[in-house]
Amino acid sequence: MPGILTYLWRLFPGNPILLRVVAMGSKRTRDLIIRCIYLGALVVIVLVSLAGVGSSAGNDLAKLSDASTKIFQTLSYLQLAFVALLAPIFTAGAISQEKDSQTYDVLLATPLTNAQIVFGSLFSRLFFVFALLLSGVPIFSITQIFGGVAFGDVVQSVTIALVTALFTGSLAVAIATFKIGTRQTIFSFYLFNIAYLVGLYLLAQLPQMRIPRVGPDGGPIGGLGGPSNISWLAAFHPLLALQVVLEPLKFTPPTASQLSPTLSRWPISWALTNPVGFFISLSTFLSIILVLPSVVLLRRIAQSSTTFINGIFRKLKIAKNSSTRTPREVWNNPIAWREGSTNASAARSVFIRYGFILIGIAAAGMLIVAHSTEAGTPARFIDAGSFDPLNNTLLLRGTGGTTLMVDDATSVRILRDEFDANGNRLWQAAGRGELNRRFEIANVATQTRGTVQYARSIDLTEIPRQVSTTSARRFLLGLVLLQAVAILLIITNAAASTVTREKEDGTLDLLLCTPITSRYYMWGKVRGLISYVLPLIVVPVASCGLFIAMDALRFIKSEITGNDFVVRPEAIILLPPLLIVVAAFAAITGIYLSLALRTTVLAVMSSVGIVLGVCGGLAWCGWGMLGNSSNPIALALGSFSPFTVISMLIAPESLNTALINPPESAAMRGTIFVTTAVAIAAYAGGLYYAYISMVKNFDMTIRKQSR
Amino acid sequence: MTLVIKTVNLTKRYGSLVALSNLNLEVEEGDCFGFIGPNGAGKSTTMKILATLLQPTWGEARVCDFVVGYQSRQIRPLIGYVPDYFGAYEDMVVREYLEFFAAAYNIHGTARNKVVDDVLQLTDLSYKHDSPVDGLSRGMKQRLSIARTLLHDPKLLLLDEPAGNLDPRARIELRELLKTLRTIGKTILISSHILPELQDMCNKVGIIEQGELKYAGPWTDIVRKARTGKIINVGVAHNATSAAALLAQDAAVVSAVVKEHFIEVTLHEVADDFSFLAAKLIAGGYKLTLFREEEVNLETAFMRLTKGMVQ
Repeated sequence: MPGILTYLWRLFPGNPILLRVVAMGSKRTRDLIIRCIYLGALVVIVLVSLAGVGSSAGNDLAKLSDASTKIFQTLSYLQLAFVALLAPIFTAGAISQEKDSQTYDVLLATPLTNAQIVFGSLFSRLFFVFALLLSGVPIFSITQIFGGVAFGDVVQSVTIALVTALFTGSLAVAIATFKIGTRQTIFSFYLFNIAYLVGLYLLAQLPQMRIPRVGPDGGPIGGLGGPSNISWLAAFHPLLALQVVLEPLKFTPPTASQLSPTLSRWPISWALTNPVGFFISLSTFLSIILVLPSVVLLRRIAQSSTTFINGIFRKLKIAKNSSTRTPREVWNNPIAWREGSTNASAARSVFIRYGFILIGIAAAGMLIVAHSTEAGTPARFIDAGSFDPLNNTLLLRGTGGTTLMVDDATSVRILRDEFDANGNRLWQAAGRGELNRRFEIANVATQTRGTVQYARSIDLTEIPRQVSTTSARRFLLGLVLLQAVAILLIITNAAASTVTREKEDGTLDLLLCTPITSRYYMWGKVRGLISYVLPLIVVPVASCGLFIAMDALRFIKSEITGNDFVVRPEAIILLPPLLIVVAAFAAITGIYLSLALRTTVLAVMSSVGIVLGVCGGLAWCGWGMLGNSSNPIALALGSFSPFTVISMLIAPESLNTALINPPESAAMRGTIFVTTAVAIAAYAGGLYYAYISMVKNFDMTIRKQSR
Repeated sequence: MTLVIKTVNLTKRYGSLVALSNLNLEVEEGDCFGFIGPNGAGKSTTMKILATLLQPTWGEARVCDFVVGYQSRQIRPLIGYVPDYFGAYEDMVVREYLEFFAAAYNIHGTARNKVVDDVLQLTDLSYKHDSPVDGLSRGMKQRLSIARTLLHDPKLLLLDEPAGNLDPRARIELRELLKTLRTIGKTILISSHILPELQDMCNKVGIIEQGELKYAGPWTDIVRKARTGKIINVGVAHNATSAAALLAQDAAVVSAVVKEHFIEVTLHEVADDFSFLAAKLIAGGYKLTLFREEEVNLETAFMRLTKGMVQ
């Protein structure tokens, strides 16, 4: 065999590292079960959807074709979500390989080339994900029987998922090779992946992020945020790129001729006109860029003794260079001190916690500023002092400012956040008292009686702001949901590693020999976790609190009514206990699995799966239910889903516009308040019971694992 | 004397594997008891049961008359356990590590500061009080482990392989520290593979093999038992080869082999009086430089006992 072929053979199909994983992975029961669950879920979705369509569509091929397209879209989004969530889990193990030096060092001492080790490590971790994706292709192909799905779309959908996994794996291998992280970095890596996917997706929803298009005359067409426009970020985000493939009518990239001259240069034009091709190429290119230095420098870097990240922390003086430091005071409950103080003061934790707090508060602050700032001075407007109730005169400011008489016959309407069945905002009658607040005049009809000009009707709208009230609600909701997910991930990670870490480093045995009781130990863990996570919970509460405080001031100054609050004021009462209960659920789940399982990685991944699965499942049910109905039963049931409650408190119209329409909204708000309070109490009771039961069974659970 | 440790038919099974089988062990107050046995013999399992970390499958273990399993809460303040690994917390300095465990033993306030100062001084770690624990050398970590066990002034110290992986200097320092602890009245149960050191520190030893206690008692007794009475070491000033040949002619002698510094004479039977060998050599004109029964130490005794050579 020619030399190059032999080299390539040894690099991929004959790579001993890869072969071992492929041979072992195919036999592992756990992998078989995951494969069966994934493929079973795909098959069930296809069969149930086809059965439903078959009964309603009859012989209508067009309907079958439409249904087939929808099934394909559902499967593709599911597949991508699966890859986005699971690829970091399967590939993050590479990060800790430098810790597992017992095998790593042995590998480095063999005649295996750097390329064999790097590619063996990369593809052995991606093998499972790749195998799953490819095994799903036949199921995807079923959708082609009824038409409506082009083969090219199937290929593009699978390719987007494949390159997403490839990039994630390459990043993990690069982190491992360059010692940027340690075993603790696995979680940060996972968090970064989720934050990137969710954060960029939310950012892409900003109207400012839409690609502007120009018509043949050079002027804008469709304006910003037109329905056929897509975000700049579609070329950098797998889900946004997949949307372009699956929903081409909704997400149509501009043609080259529709781009302004500044955007017509390569590669910008490529990214904007063909985001799918650009995303696939960029991900592949970046994967190569990440892996190649690892191939070249693997053995050299393996000889250095410090990690890249520790070096940076030392430079930033987050981690001390000195080999000694002043001892801190240990609390009377040493377990709580260990959880709350030492973990929280570790350089990485400081970085994550303060980074989270700063970014969260800064994002909320920017949103408030954008929401408070008017987009421009309107042509005609009124504000405080415009209406003189003694003389019944109204001063119209702005262009052609004039003074009109206002009497009881004058009709005043304001366009408020009240919606019709189609989600359109409605005009609402208002009293003359509203005429002393700042509004843009949309329309004014006058009549002259004698020599005096009277206002017959006045239509008022809010003066456009840089971010409208509706948009501010949606962004704040996205921000708070993102923060809530991050808090859940942080506390789940901390809780799930809290006991397994002690099992792994042997300190648990030392503690079990002391007079510390299981109740004392567990309470110490919970208390430490609470003090660790409380500053994080303050961030979403403060984000909402800032909006409420700002609106309260405007309300006191009569600039707005009670219905105009961006965030419902009761949120400040409900959010803290709600978030604490959700965090406690994550903590209890994490601690339970940390007690029951032997290794940190297994405990963390299982806990994250359960916590996100339960919260996500409840949110999906709650959002779905309230999207279709706003009756008290739906509201009461929705209150048992924490993320749904957050949505109802911050941006209810995003669930159902009926939730915001007065006067019903007052009763609904009352229902939501009471049922949410009941739900919080019920969850708290359940968690307390779980905690007591965990304390009772502590000895049994721990000693079963003793060897 | 008061018994600090007493086990009766102590048995521990892991599935089909029998780690301990009917272990009957007694350690008196003030004893330094050396626990000897090959890897996997059941030493660590015994230690873990006594440290209340494991429940016996069968039998009973008592510490200061409290039963392990039923009265573990009463036992824990009485023991100090050093496992065969160092349980290190990341991001803690030496003083924090000791204060952490002092708090775990309900020692608070000024009493905690004082006791931490005392154990740091006793273990000669005062100058390292602000150093990170995970940066200490193995020897210092081991001293810190012992310092940890002394915080609550326990009656009994359970030391599982405390000298494993230590360099010679650290081993000697550790040995001296344990001797000091014995002088202040601590009862010590220590397992180790370094038998000469156990011989130096302990007054009693127990030999365990495949979960069964082969012997327990003063180490001097086992050494005495291990003496065969059949091997005599003889030294002559010159002509060792001809002296060996002379001795081999005696009907009571099985063999006389010339070693580097002496002749090893093996007799057919145990002889209380083997002066006839000396008489024979002197009569042959040899000048005696050495004449004694073979020297038996703990190592030799252990080897013979675990090979079934001692009954």
